[in-house]
Amino acid sequence: MDAIRIPPPAELDSLEDEHFRQVVRAFLRENYPEHLRNPPKRLHWAENREWYMKLAEKGWLCPGWPKEYGGLGLSPAKQIILTEEYERYGVARTNDHGIVMLGPLVIKYGTEAQKTFFLPKILSGEHVWCQGYSEPNAGSDLAALRTEAVLDGDHYVVNGQKIWTTLAMDANWIFLLVRTDKNAKKQEGISFLLVDMKTPGITVRPIINLEMHDEFCETFFDNVRVPKENLVGTLNKGWDMAKALLGFERIFLGSPRQSGYALSRLKLLAERMGLWEDAEFQDRYARLRLEFEDLKALFGTFVEKLKRGESLGPDVSMLKVIQTELFQKITDTMLEISGENAGLLEPMEGNRDLNIGGLYIQARPATIYGGSNEIQRNILSKNVLGLPG
Amino acid sequence: MSAAVQDDRAESIRMIRDSAAAVAPPGGDLKRVRELRFQDPGFDPAVFREMGEMGWIGLRVPEAAGGAGLGLGEACALAEELGAALVPEPLIPAMLSAAILAGTPRLAKLLAGEAVLLTAWQERADTLEVPGNADASRRFIPMAAGATALLLPVREGRKLALYEHPAAGLTIERTQDGGNVGSFTPDLAGATKLAEDVGPALEAALEEAALLTGAYLLGGMERAFAMTVDYLKTRSQFGRIIGTFQALQHRAADLKMQLALTRASIESAAAALDEGATGDARRAAVSRAKARAAEASLRVTRECIQLHGGIGYTDQYDVGLYLRKAMVLANQYGSASLHRKRFMAVSPEVEE
Ligand SMILES: Cc1cc2nc3c(=O)[nH]c(=O)nc-3n(C[C@H](O)[C@H](O)[C@H](O)COP(=O)(O)OP(=O)(O)OC[C@H]3O[C@@H](n4cnc5c(N)ncnc54)[C@H](O)[C@@H]3O)c2cc1C
Repeated sequence: MDAIRIPPPAELDSLEDEHFRQVVRAFLRENYPEHLRNPPKRLHWAENREWYMKLAEKGWLCPGWPKEYGGLGLSPAKQIILTEEYERYGVARTNDHGIVMLGPLVIKYGTEAQKTFFLPKILSGEHVWCQGYSEPNAGSDLAALRTEAVLDGDHYVVNGQKIWTTLAMDANWIFLLVRTDKNAKKQEGISFLLVDMKTPGITVRPIINLEMHDEFCETFFDNVRVPKENLVGTLNKGWDMAKALLGFERIFLGSPRQSGYALSRLKLLAERMGLWEDAEFQDRYARLRLEFEDLKALFGTFVEKLKRGESLGPDVSMLKVIQTELFQKITDTMLEISGENAGLLEPMEGNRDLNIGGLYIQARPATIYGGSNEIQRNILSKNVLGLPG
Repeated sequence: MSAAVQDDRAESIRMIRDSAAAVAPPGGDLKRVRELRFQDPGFDPAVFREMGEMGWIGLRVPEAAGGAGLGLGEACALAEELGAALVPEPLIPAMLSAAILAGTPRLAKLLAGEAVLLTAWQERADTLEVPGNADASRRFIPMAAGATALLLPVREGRKLALYEHPAAGLTIERTQDGGNVGSFTPDLAGATKLAEDVGPALEAALEEAALLTGAYLLGGMERAFAMTVDYLKTRSQFGRIIGTFQALQHRAADLKMQLALTRASIESAAAALDEGATGDARRAAVSRAKARAAEASLRVTRECIQLHGGIGYTDQYDVGLYLRKAMVLANQYGSASLHRKRFMAVSPEVEE
């Protein structure tokens, strides 16, 4: 049935959008392991390595990187299409911090030596990265971070603690925001440091999350010696670099796909519960569905801006708030209509698509990470509306 | 009620609250609760026996039948205390069983907490109806992994007979709170008849169970909210206690109003039933309270997680245990939606 030819990676960026979409679909049908579709939990490296390596082998691993560094060189608009199709197909997230965050940072700010050392190792799957930003006392107020790096000869000596480090137990490298000047204003004494997790003095302790899954960790640094050349960019300019990466992340957090997935599950559940034809349910569903459609339309206006080569302003925060709260409303509705099934630990009827409680719990942190929704609303009221304070 | 009678009631409710400390010590941690999670049977039979010795299982059973003969005011106060401590023993299902065992020889052992007799009344999700089909599967029996035997209502003509059925061949599914529910297909051949007609008693008992579940949820959300307010007063970001951010203050104030409405709803329903409300008035009061408790408990526990940030999303931090409990109990003995419909079906017009 597949008349679609999958062109070599270097040609993907020049395809028409719709054609590109079809190619992505065909690619997934051909290559994505069936048993990894819509996994009920975030996968560990041991589970999704197979898929990561397949992407690496096909040259599809790093869609956003320029071609000269081994990426697909896709425009933001095409990357969004790719993400949409991955999500539609139920593709599991990989251990993607190296691909999505560190790679682009090194490409933009790294030295030639850093580029030649690190980028190929991400592309080959040799280096798996995690993100060490948050600390126990520096969450929303990230700039308050205290993990410090003190220069001692050719090395920085790192001491401190990171927390909520997603999949740190799977990673062999971590990128850190560290304090390198205690006397400067808090945003101005922060640097960006790359650390091999095998260095003596690092302890990783998994934290069981509310899904009862060991997904994030505490990461401790006790006199960890890091070669000086692992600092990225300018000393004490780490904050600005990290911020420059965030704008783009925010549009991804606002992608309506997650809600689209949840809506299709809600419909399935309503059918199983004999509620699909129910007038009251139809009204509730319509409300969610219309919000989804409107979010899609709003999302589209941001994508158009990207297509025109414009950069996104702080108003992109709207997408994250609307999408994550819609996702939660959908999962709340699933819980409300499913009677005693709402309380089951395992998916109803053994059907992964009816993972009512699991989805309800998974929807919770979406309003916490990536800048909590309270922080996004602060941004909207101050930076978009210009309200004082 | 005269002032003196009112004082007596208040005193009796206070005493019950105090006595809950035996199982749910004030300020106690949730270590016991955590240890029992995701294990069979999901609760401690010795604590269940203790509940029997305290007279809780027979709290609503008339004194003449061996119970304590106390009111719903007392029963709701007790459920609330147990909810605050997330006590996993199936007291509410056991109280329901006690209500339909009156006059049978099985009652004594249940009231003493020596037998865990659970009623297998439910044939589908989200219902308060008891069709009593002899061979229909029974579902969602709370804490069935610890059942000594099951009580099986069976439709016989216009009556609902009660059988005792062995607790064998159960399918057990774990629940989000670490407990379990059971289902099975009855086989009357191995069952013993206990009573000719428990129809009206069961209907009343299901309503009481719905109200008590609402009270249990109220206790849980109060405790989760108290933890959250404490956190807002101690957690600092941006050089300030986060409780000074007006956005969070307003959220907390909104949740407080939900708690106040839930408490008012539960307590007024309990009082109405204790004063002898029957029929539609009784149904309306119970449904109003359960609808509120179900909806508010989900909302309050969700927002408690959000107000904590990352730490709220860990299993180790207790606030999540309250979210999981609300997920299990919000729809037990009828979801908010079921109770709203039921309320509208029976409620009198709004008084102007
Ligand atoms: C599932 C998950 C995965 C994560 N993965 C990573 C990772 O890989 N690497 C990493 O570095 N971090 C990670 N994080 C951490 C995440 O970035 C932080 O949890 C987030 O920044 C919030 O910080 P906090 O948890 O300290 O909460 P706090 O900042 O303490 O917030 C507590 C509450 O206060 C509110 N609040 C705070 N400040 C304000 C304000 N000014 N106005 C109004 N309300 C406010 C918050 O919105 C929240 O409701 C992850 C978090 C989660 C939940």
